[in-house]
Amino acid sequence: MAARRVAVTGLGVVSPLGNDEAGFFESLQAGRSGVRRLDAPFSQRLSIRIGAPVGFDGAAHFPPPRLRMLDRVSQFALVAAQQAVEAAGLLRFEGWRERAGVFLGTGMGGAQTTDDGYRALYADGAARLPPFSVLMAMNHAAAAWIGIEYGLQGPNLTYSTACSSSAVAIGEAWRRIRAGETDLMLAGGSEAPLNLGTLKAWEALKTLASEDPEDPSASCKPFALDRSGMVLGEGAAVLVLEEWEHAQRRGARIRGELIGYGLCTDATHMTHPTVLGQARAMALALESAALDASAIGYINAHGTGTAANDVTESQAIRQVFAAHADRVPVSSTKSMHGHLLGAAGAVELAATLLALERGTLPPTINLRIADPACDLDYISEGARKVSGAGVAMSNAFAFGGTNAVLVCRSPDAARAVQGVD
Amino acid sequence: MSMPTTDGQTFAVVRELIARDHALAPETLTPETPLQSLAIDSLGLIELIFTLEERFDVLADKVPDDLPTLGSVADYIDSLVAARTAAIDDGAPAA
Repeated sequence: MAARRVAVTGLGVVSPLGNDEAGFFESLQAGRSGVRRLDAPFSQRLSIRIGAPVGFDGAAHFPPPRLRMLDRVSQFALVAAQQAVEAAGLLRFEGWRERAGVFLGTGMGGAQTTDDGYRALYADGAARLPPFSVLMAMNHAAAAWIGIEYGLQGPNLTYSTACSSSAVAIGEAWRRIRAGETDLMLAGGSEAPLNLGTLKAWEALKTLASEDPEDPSASCKPFALDRSGMVLGEGAAVLVLEEWEHAQRRGARIRGELIGYGLCTDATHMTHPTVLGQARAMALALESAALDASAIGYINAHGTGTAANDVTESQAIRQVFAAHADRVPVSSTKSMHGHLLGAAGAVELAATLLALERGTLPPTINLRIADPACDLDYISEGARKVSGAGVAMSNAFAFGGTNAVLVCRSPDAARAVQGVD
Repeated sequence: MSMPTTDGQTFAVVRELIARDHALAPETLTPETPLQSLAIDSLGLIELIFTLEERFDVLADKVPDDLPTLGSVADYIDSLVAARTAAIDDGAPAA
């Protein structure tokens, strides 16, 4: 029996570049940056004041009693899931919820609630905390809320592998559908780390980018010689992954196909990446997609903008792609939306799917001074129109060493495989 | 020695909170209004009690499971206020 295929039939995005699919893609192809100076009340206590915040008012989406039960991370996830479910046209159908589940990734979970609680207890001397502190702070809250919202009775899991969390969640969801255990999965990730405690903790790690003195929005410079680190962002993306025949039977619009997933671990160092580990994850993803590296027409890089990642990733791509490395366009959309940590893999796979669907590859912005150690084609001149980039790869690597790589196909290429228009 | 108050002040506060949260006209809410009709489930009740605890400066160890209406919630808060007042009258430390 041939392996079951997995279509993408819906996607939802809440991001520093826009809070829906259209706005997100428009910003990406325009090379617009969502990075800015944070204007939070605590900003003056930050040594590094830049981030990539989402323009988002929870009160516009949830009534007050509901809102008081939702950390920002769950608000993002629920809004992204709603967009995805509506885009997929799922609510017109019955009988799918029993074999549908939710896999989400998050690195820090309800970090805002944890931060608020500690401040109330330790700084303000509060005698007690709000009643839903546990339900808001727990890592699994966002996925659980989505499952409850749509009555999804299949497996519901939260993956937490730092910056690869949501790539892992999507890859594992893909495996469940392929294996026949579920027919439909809402898969993605959410992160809301722009609170004082989390930002100060990241500052201490000395891995954040310094503010660009002339243009704060240009502070994240992946693959550039003058890059100085990553910029933290927030947001969520949720995809509807659906078994191919299931999607066809209900006449769903195919937005792409997920065809490969590679997962491995460096097992060498908490923060320092390895060429070997990143290359293995890419090779495993190609192997699971049964494709040669030359089939890949675009790579959405992990591209954090740190000294260590960008050289390592460039070398790993060269190792896996050999001569094709000089022909495959690579970009880091983190240059625009920042590093969404546990949501990064999902948001970047959404960017990759949209790029394939629209035939426009998003650029790496702020790459003006080339780093000789990063010698690939990083689409630094602005978005690139392409025809026939049918298959793409999205990389997600993480502190802790968990490397996850996803491979997807454009809607046209997916239909061509099936032999129907 | 104080008994639960029944002058309706507590209910007025409950009504004000619920009307604001659920965007309802206060006059549509009565002591007989079931929590269920407002979609206030066990978690919603915990939150309502928490807000009332703050407002009336009382502390409940547990949320009773026999509070089916807005009026019964107000009565419960009144009983906590009465117990606190009694404790102060007895010279016990205030909560």
